[in-house]
Amino acid sequence: MPIQRRSFLAGTAAAATLASAPKIHAASKDKQYRTALIGAGWWGMNILREAMAGGQTKVVALCDVDSDRLEINAEEVTDLSGDTPRTYSDYRELFEKEDVEVAILATPDHWHALNALAAIEAGAHVFIEKPTGHTIGESKAILAASRASDRLVQVGLHRRIGPHHVSGMKFLKDGGAGEIGLVRMFVHSKGGAEKPTRNSEPPENLDWEMYCGPAPLRPYCRRIHPGGFRHFLDFANGTLGDWGVHWLDQMLWWSDQQSPRSVHSTGGRPIAGAAILNADEQTTDAPDHQTATYEFDSFTATWEHRKFAGQGPEQTSIGCYFFGTQGTFHLGWRDGWTFYPADGKKQVIHQDAQLQEPDGHNLKLLYADFLRGIESGSRPVADIEVGHQATTLALLGMLSMKLGRSVRWDSATETIIGDEEANGMLKRKYRQPWTYPEIG
Amino acid sequence: MPLPRFLLLRHALRFVVCLCVTVVAGQRRTVHPPARVATSVLFRSLLVLVLPIGVSSCAAEDWYRWRGPNGNGISTETEWNCNWKNGQPTIAWSHSVGTGFSSVVVKDGRAFTLGHVGDQDVVFCLNVADGNVVWTFGYPAELDDRDFEGGPISTPTVDGDRIYVMGRAGELFCLQTSDGTKVWGKNVAEETDVRLPGWGCSAAPLVIGDKLLLNIGESGVAVDKHSGERLWNSDDRECGYASPVLIPDSNPTAAVIASGRAYIGIDVESGKQLWAERWLTSFNCNAADPIIHDGKMFLCSGYNRGAALFDLNDATPSLIWKSKEMKNQIHGSILYQGHLYGIDGDMETGARLRCMEWSTGEIRWSVDDLQPGGLALAGGKLLLLTEPGKLMIAPATPDGWDPIAQGKVLDGKSWTAPVLSGGRIFCRSVQGQLVCVDCRD
Repeated sequence: MPIQRRSFLAGTAAAATLASAPKIHAASKDKQYRTALIGAGWWGMNILREAMAGGQTKVVALCDVDSDRLEINAEEVTDLSGDTPRTYSDYRELFEKEDVEVAILATPDHWHALNALAAIEAGAHVFIEKPTGHTIGESKAILAASRASDRLVQVGLHRRIGPHHVSGMKFLKDGGAGEIGLVRMFVHSKGGAEKPTRNSEPPENLDWEMYCGPAPLRPYCRRIHPGGFRHFLDFANGTLGDWGVHWLDQMLWWSDQQSPRSVHSTGGRPIAGAAILNADEQTTDAPDHQTATYEFDSFTATWEHRKFAGQGPEQTSIGCYFFGTQGTFHLGWRDGWTFYPADGKKQVIHQDAQLQEPDGHNLKLLYADFLRGIESGSRPVADIEVGHQATTLALLGMLSMKLGRSVRWDSATETIIGDEEANGMLKRKYRQPWTYPEIG
Repeated sequence: MPLPRFLLLRHALRFVVCLCVTVVAGQRRTVHPPARVATSVLFRSLLVLVLPIGVSSCAAEDWYRWRGPNGNGISTETEWNCNWKNGQPTIAWSHSVGTGFSSVVVKDGRAFTLGHVGDQDVVFCLNVADGNVVWTFGYPAELDDRDFEGGPISTPTVDGDRIYVMGRAGELFCLQTSDGTKVWGKNVAEETDVRLPGWGCSAAPLVIGDKLLLNIGESGVAVDKHSGERLWNSDDRECGYASPVLIPDSNPTAAVIASGRAYIGIDVESGKQLWAERWLTSFNCNAADPIIHDGKMFLCSGYNRGAALFDLNDATPSLIWKSKEMKNQIHGSILYQGHLYGIDGDMETGARLRCMEWSTGEIRWSVDDLQPGGLALAGGKLLLLTEPGKLMIAPATPDGWDPIAQGKVLDGKSWTAPVLSGGRIFCRSVQGQLVCVDCRD
C-alpha cells in the first residue's frame, strides 16, 4: 500500500536502516520482488519483460522523464501481469515513496551512478545496464556503494551467461585455440555522412531538463530522444561505450580479469562529418570509427568499430577474434562461435547461438542469475566489479582518444600514471544542482 | 456512405468517360464496364440504381487516390496477370520523378506522383501508356533530408478534373488534371498557424463532398475544395502522419484523424471532436491509416506500440483486443476477407510481413526475411514491393505466404506501396525511379 508506506517513511527515522536490512532469508521461489524500473524505454522494457516472465517480479513503479513512455509501458505491464505500477518522473520521489526491493536501471549512461546510488541507499538490489558509468569515477562509486552495503548489483552483460558464450569460453580456457596472443574486438556497420537534425522545443511529454540531469543542458532534437542518446557524448560514450563494453567483458572473462598496462585509442568522424551543435540544429558527436589498443602483460587486445563500409570481405561484422597457436576463434552474436584451425586440414568447429528474440539477448538467464544471487547471498555472474572493469576499459579508450595520447593504467589505484590531465578526465563536472558521487 | 445520393451522383457525373458508380451497402465503388459501353448520363444514372449488390471485381479501375477508390488499399481489378515472360516482369517504362515517398494515383490514362527535383517539389503527370511527361508543376521546397532521404511524402488525390497536392511544409495546391494549371494554392500550416510534425505533412487530402479534409493540427483542417477557403481548423498540436479516413455510414458524416497522440473522431461538417482514442507512439509517429470496418476500428503503430481493435458503435470507442504482434510503422495494413496483411516492425531494424486475424488479433503467419518495403492487394493477391526493389505476388490467404511470381523491378530503397491500375503496377524507389510493370492480360 503506497500511502501507508509513505507515511511510514515520513514518520520513522529508522526507515533507511530498515529498508536496507538483509532480505536474504525471506527468499523463496514464491518470493515476489517489489521491482521498479528507472528508464522505461526500449531496453529497460526488454529487461522488465524478462523479469516479469521469470515469475518473481511484482512491478510496483516505473520512472521516466518521458510521460508518454511511462504511460505506454505502464499499460503494457498491466496487460502482461495485472500489476498496476505507479509512475514517476523523478527517481528520487520513487525511492522516497515506494518500498523497492529490486531496481532495474536503464537510463542513459550519464544517469547511471546517481540512479544506482539512490537505489542502493533505498535498500534495493540493482540490475543496471552497462556501462556502469559515464566516467570511471561514477562506476567506482557504484562498486563502492554495493560493497559497503549488502546490496547486489548485476550489470546487464548478458553475454556472460549466454549459452554460446559459456561454451565458447570453456573451449578457449580448455586450450582449444592454443596459446592466445592477440584478441581483436570489433563492431562494423554501414553508414555515411550525417545530416544535422533540426533542434526543436522538447515534446510536451518530455522533462528535458531532467533528461539532461547532471549533463550539460543542450538544445533538444528528436535524434537524441527517444533512443538516440548513445551517439551524443554528453550522455554516453558512443559505440565503444556500448557494444565495446560487451566485447571487452568477453576478453576480460577469458583473461581472468587481468588489467591492461596501457591504452591507446584514435578515432574521429571523417565520414560522418564534423559534429554540429548550434541553436538551430545538431548532429551526433560520437566517433564514426575508433580503434583502441590495450596492452596486457601477456597479450594485446584491440577494439575497432566503424559505421561505414559494412561487413566487407569478412564473414562477420561483430564479435571477438581470439588468435591462438591452434587457430582463430570467433566469438560472435547471432552467428554463435566458430573456430578456424591454423591447420587448414582440420575441420572448422562451430556452435550456434541460443538467443532470445527479437533483440538477440540472454536477459532471461542473466535475470534468473541475479535473483539466485539475491536469494543465496552470492555474487551474480555479471557482478558490479565485472561490469566496472569492462566499463573502465571502454572509458579509458574514450579518454585516450579525446586526449590524443596513450595512457598508462595503474589498476591497483585506478589512476593514470604520470598524467594529471588524464586523471582529471576520470571524473566529469556535473551540472547544478547535481553532485558528482564521492566515495566514502 | 455519408454522402447524400444526389451529391454522389453529381460527383460521379463529373467523373470522366467510362466510369460508372454504384452504391453498394453504403460504399461507393467505381466500375469500368467493358470498352465501348454506352456511357450516356442516363445509362450511368441507371447503373447507379440497378447494378447488383456485391459487385466486387472489374476489368480496370482508376486508382485515383491514396489506398485506392475504396480507401482500403485493395484493387478490385482481376484482369491482370503475373505470368511474366521468362518469369521476369515486363518493365513498360521507367521515369525519374525525384526523391520522395509519394505513391502513384491514376486517372484516365494518366499517372500522378510527387518528387523533389533541384530546389522544388514537382508534381508529375505521366502518360501511363509510355511514361511520357504530360505536364509538371513545381513549387519551391526544401529536400529536408535530415534523418531520412527527404522529399515529399504525401500522395496526391484526384477528384474529377482536379488534383490536390500536399507538401511537407503544409503547402496545398489544387491543379487541373488536364494541364497542371494551378486553380488555387496556399500554405495551410501558415494560414492556420499550427505546427508541422517532425517529418512534415504526409497525409493525402481526402475529398468529402465539397470539402477537402487534411491532417494538420490536432484534429485536421477542412477547406472548400473549389476555392481553398478554410472552413474550419483544429488546435495547434502535432498531427500524425496517417491520412484522414471516413467512417462509413456515419450520420452526420464523421472521419478519423491521426494526431500525434491520439486517433480522433471528428464531425466533418464542423470539425468538432466526437471522441479521441489516446494512442501514444514514439516520435508521435501515428502513420498507419485507421481501418474502419463493420463498426470496428483497427489502430496500429510502430516503435513497439502495437495494434488494437475498437468497437465504434457507442459514443466512444471501446477496446475489443490489443496486441504487440502487429506494429505498422509506416504502412497501413490491408484488411481482406477477415484478415489483416501488414508490415510489422520498424523498417530500419528489419520488418516482417504478417497476416493477422481481424476478429481476434491472432497471427496466422509471419515471414521474417522478405525486407518488405510496401504492400498492396489486387484481385485476391498481395503485391509486395521489397525494400531492395523486388516485386513479389502471392495469394492473399491466411494459409501462408506462397509467392507465385517475383522479379526485380527497382534499384535502390523502395518504401512506397505499389499501385495496380489498369493492369499496370507502378513501383517507385525513394531515389525517384518510377517503373510501370505491364501486367495487362
